[in-house]
Formats: sequence, C-alpha cells, structure tokens
Amino acid sequence: MQQDRWTLALAALFVLAAVLTLAVWIPNDIETGLIERFRREVMIGDALAPTGAAVGVLIAALALGATSWFRPDPFDDTPDRQSIAFLLRMAVVLVLGLVLMVFTGPVVVESINGLGGEIGTYRQLRDTVPYKYLGFAAGGFVLVFGAIRVVENRFSMAAAGVAIGAVVVLGFIYDVPFDNLLLPPNGDQ
Amino acid sequence: MGVLDHVWLGVLAVFTAEPAFSIFGLPISITLVMVFSGFVGGIVVGATPGLGGPFAMAVSLPILISVFGFTPDALLPVLGFLVGIMKGSTIGGAVPAILFNTPGTPDSVLTTFDGYPMTRNGQSGKALRVAHFSSVTGDTFSDIVLITSAPFLAIMVERFLDFPEKAALIILSLAFISAVVGRSVWKGILGALLGLFFAYIGTGEDGYPRLSMGSEELGNGFPLVSAVVGVLILGEVFKSMEDMWREMRERSEITMIEEKGDNKLRLADIRRILPFVGLSAVIGTAIGALPGIGSVLAATLGYASGKKMYKGDKSFGEGVPEGVAATEAANSSVAGANLIPVLSLGIPGNVSAVFIILAAESIGGFNPGPTVFRVIPDQINPEMVIVFGLFTTMICANILNWTLGGIFMRATGVMVKVPKQRLLAVVLLLTPTAIYVQNTDMFAIYFTLFFGFIGYLMRKLDISVLPFVIAFILANRLEEAMRQAFSATGGNPWFLFDSPISIAFIAIAVIVVVFFARNKKALG
Repeated sequence: MQQDRWTLALAALFVLAAVLTLAVWIPNDIETGLIERFRREVMIGDALAPTGAAVGVLIAALALGATSWFRPDPFDDTPDRQSIAFLLRMAVVLVLGLVLMVFTGPVVVESINGLGGEIGTYRQLRDTVPYKYLGFAAGGFVLVFGAIRVVENRFSMAAAGVAIGAVVVLGFIYDVPFDNLLLPPNGDQ
Repeated sequence: MGVLDHVWLGVLAVFTAEPAFSIFGLPISITLVMVFSGFVGGIVVGATPGLGGPFAMAVSLPILISVFGFTPDALLPVLGFLVGIMKGSTIGGAVPAILFNTPGTPDSVLTTFDGYPMTRNGQSGKALRVAHFSSVTGDTFSDIVLITSAPFLAIMVERFLDFPEKAALIILSLAFISAVVGRSVWKGILGALLGLFFAYIGTGEDGYPRLSMGSEELGNGFPLVSAVVGVLILGEVFKSMEDMWREMRERSEITMIEEKGDNKLRLADIRRILPFVGLSAVIGTAIGALPGIGSVLAATLGYASGKKMYKGDKSFGEGVPEGVAATEAANSSVAGANLIPVLSLGIPGNVSAVFIILAAESIGGFNPGPTVFRVIPDQINPEMVIVFGLFTTMICANILNWTLGGIFMRATGVMVKVPKQRLLAVVLLLTPTAIYVQNTDMFAIYFTLFFGFIGYLMRKLDISVLPFVIAFILANRLEEAMRQAFSATGGNPWFLFDSPISIAFIAIAVIVVVFFARNKKALG
C-alpha cells in the first residue's frame, strides 16, 4: 500500500500547490489580468496562460487522486529513507563543490593581498593563470571525486585520477582554444 | 526559387562549407567531418551501457555552440553532429546487448533475447552483422519517408491551419504525448502542465515579468537549456547514481565468448531476414512519426510481429537472426520518422528531436516547423536550405552507416567495461560547465541543478519527463498562438471551437486522454 500512498500524497500536494498558486501567487505576482482591454482592443493578459496551467494541474491532480483511490496501480522504486540518505550525500558534494568553485579564487587572491602581495582584485585576475583555474579545479575535483565516493562508498586513487583528468580535460577543452569563454565562476565575478 | 533549387543549395551547403582539411587536394567540409565525428561518437556512446544518444547530445551541444558560435554557418555542422550521434547511438546500443546480454540503450532490451543466445552459440559476429544490416535498412527507410513526407505535411499545415487550429494542434500534441508516455495518463498530463507553468515564469508581455516574485534572476525566465538538460540529463544522472549506490554490487567479470563457424552475413541470410526487416521498418516508421511514442514500443511491436510471422525450427528467443533483425530494424526506423513532427509541425516528439530544436533555438536562424518549407517567389528561403542540408547530412550519415558502421560497431564491445558511475560523475561536472560557458552566470548552473532535482523526483514518482520537456519548449508558442487567435477572432473566447479543424483537434485530444485513461493498464 506504500506505493498508493505516494500517488495520493503526490495528488494532494499538487492540489494544494495549484490552489495556492491560483489564490495567492498569480493574483499577487502578475500585473495584468486574464483578459485586458487596451484602446478598445481586447487581448489576452499575462495571467491567462499560467492560470490555465494551474487549473489544469488542479484537475489532473484530482483525477490522479481519484484514479489512485478507486483503481490503485502500485509502482516500484518510490522514494524512501535510502533516497533521502543518497540525496543528502549528493547535496553535500554539490554544495561543497559549488562553494569551492565560487569562493576559492577570491579567497586565495584576498589572502595573498592580506599577506602584502598586492596582486589586485580577483575580478582583475579572473582571466589570468593560475587564478582563473583555482575555483574550477577545486570545485570540479570535489564534484567528480565526491560523486564517485558517494556511489562507490570508498575513497580510491582511481576516482581521484578520474576527477583530476576530468578537470584538466574540461579546462583544456573550454579555456585553451577560446579567448572569449570563461570557466565557472569567472564570468560573473 | 523553387523547391528543387533549395534542395540543391542544401546539398551544396553541406559539401562546400568551410573545409576542415583536404585529402589529395579534395577539400572535406567541416559539416561532413562533424557528421563523421558525431557518428563515431554516437556508436561509442550507444555501446556504453547506461549512456545513450541523448546524453551525448546534451553534453556536446554547448561545446559545439562554443566552437561554432551563434551564426547561421554554425547550424549545419552542429545539426550534422547531432544527426551523426542519433544514427551512431542507434546501432551502438545493440553491441553490448548482443555480446554481453547488457542493453546499451533501453530499446536494445529485446535485442538481447536472440542476440545473446547467438553469441553463446559462437555466432556473435553474425548477430552483429544482422543487427547492423537491419538497423541501417530500417533507418534508411525511415529517412526516405521523412524526406518525402515532411515537406508535403508542412505545406498542408501552412495551407489549412490558422492560429486557432495551430493552438489546438499544440494542445492535441501535448495531450497525445502525455497520454501515451509513461504508465499513468494523469501523471503525464501533470508533467506537461508543470512544464507549461515553469516556462511561464519570468515571461509575458507586461513590463513586470510574471511570477518572478521580484527576483532579477527569475525575471529573465528559466533558460531553456537549463530546463531541458537539467530534467533530461542531470535527473537521469542522479537517479542512475542512486540506483548504483543502492545496488553496491560488484560488476561481474565480463568474458568474451569466442566466435565459431560461419559468422559472415551471406546473401541467403539477407533473403531470410529481409521480410522481418521490411515489416519492422514500416512499424518503426509509423510509430516514430507519432510524437511521444518511443523506440521501445517500436522494438516491442517489431519483435512481436516478427515472432508471429516466423516459421522456423528454433523459436524466437533461442538465438534466431530473425529476432535480432525484427528488433533492430524497428527501433532504428524510429529515428528518421521522429523528425517528421518537428519539421512539419514544429512539435518535438522525442528526446533527439528536443535536442535538434534546442540546437536550432540556441544558434538562431532556423525555427523547425511548417514555415521552413515556405516557397518565397524570387527569393531564397534560408531555412529551407538548412532543412535540405539537414536531410543531406542524414543521407551522408546513412552512407557512413552502410560502409563503416559495421566495422566501428564491432570494435566498441570494450565499452561495456567502462565503470558507469565514474562516467556519470564526469557528466555531473561537464553539464554545468557546458551550461556556464554558454550563459556565463552561476544562476544558470543553479537552475540546471534545480531542474535536475525535479527530473530526479519525477523519475522517482513515476512521472514521465518527456511531456514536461516538450511542454516547456512549446509553452511560449502555445501562448503566442492563443493570443493571436484571440485577436484574430475579434476577442472570441471560444476561438478553439471556431472552426471544424480546431474542434476536431480538441475532440481527438479529449478522446485520446479518455481512451488511454480507461485502457492504459490493459494496453500495458
């Protein structure tokens, strides 16, 4: 019965989301109505399409709930505690990888400046070797190595090798041949 | 300029593009090189269990756009590469299915039924050759149907469909895709409606971007590439990684089984399998032309039909070449026909078509749909030139497939040994990097990961991702068609019921949904 509960919960969640969207989000976050009049011309407003989609979600969710209630069709592989455990592990890897990607370069540059290096801001150095590679290398390594670590549940030199190889090859593909391309996060620093 | 002039210009555009290099003084155009590269890459990816054409397309598209830029000259090399991947991955998927009983792509599952028993009988070489011949024959047939039917269908659409009918046609397509994909019609419809809703965030005609909650990042809307690649690729990466994490099983030792006896494909073999190839090619092409129905169903129907037709000593499933031929011809003949709805209606029917649209939208200058076949008196329609160039790349890929495909295919058996979790981890870095170099904004990466999470959840909750992606792509076109239809009918709120054609489309949409909602379990 667990699988049927998932479908019913999904239907209930979508019904609630659709009602909130129709009652709160759309009226407060769209400045034109369903139909607009402008210089005697009648036209469709910005609210119509999302309202139609939300009403559709409401109807489909009610139909899904009713179908699941009267004609249950259990399916395998629903989310469970193991899914949450996996997602948490992956979230740690992704957040850590992205934080390192965004902040490694600026932190290293500020540290050198703090030690009296006076090398300028990271923004000034974001297309300069080696600073432009710092964030991508650190964050990219953690993303690849961490994801392999999560799945294999062990640290291995082979995983580290794959991560280093991926960072080097991607850096080479995107950065070396193109003057106008910037590796993450250098474009919006 | 007539249609034939455009055909010729399309052929010239492929062969006389900027040369990549010369062989004995003969310049080889970059487009041909890209078709070849995509084809070889597609075979390798198709032969790697767990990966497939869509993965390769998603990963390579941003790189290709970075290399070729956003000019019309970039269209044919990029589309040629994607076509090459599409064709290559179709035949590559049969390799691990036949040699190791491990399907490289979902539609190769049925290839294992007879392919692997043939390998165990020492007939792996013959099984691969049968698979290759059947696959290429089916694919070629499908391409011929595409090339001959898409322009006529497009001209009919342009002639008979106005804005209300076009809006009704998009609704019908979305209803059809939602109804036929996945196990639950209502979940399919929910997926499509969510795709529409997400596409409406941060867009609209008013100065204030709707539903953006005042956020500058949401105010630009979700980038199309983030939504498509996130849901299709990262969602699959997360789900596959979780599956592998759960299983934690050691990969069993893979052993090659030696060939014995005659492994060549003889004329007698071809005569024997040809009726099965022909029947499956027709089935696959018919199914491929309908949006949303994938190659898995084509392979299933092709195999089932072949089984009924077969009258040999050994039965299907015991290692008969006809079984391999029936499956491979059916799943390969979906590929070309899948582009019929894209090129004639502008509606992508499957994942490969989604990436063709994504490439066209990213580069610009080519909007797949009925208008590409519009003949403008005394003028060249550049979009028609591109579409005939695209057909030319498909023919080139088919020639490659006939001549070199078998050799490459038999050489990729080793790909089954590549650890999938390590490949997927690299894809986890490659995808955001590729998205970033295109958008130069960390929010594009965050959005991609967000859509990856949505794609993961949809897979876990048994909601098919294809209706979501196709609805996201078509959302703005649907809204635009409705706005114009509303204006054109003088503000008639019942514009969808204003003409017999649009009434028919809406009625068919309702019938399809009701039919599949009532009968899907039985059909499954």
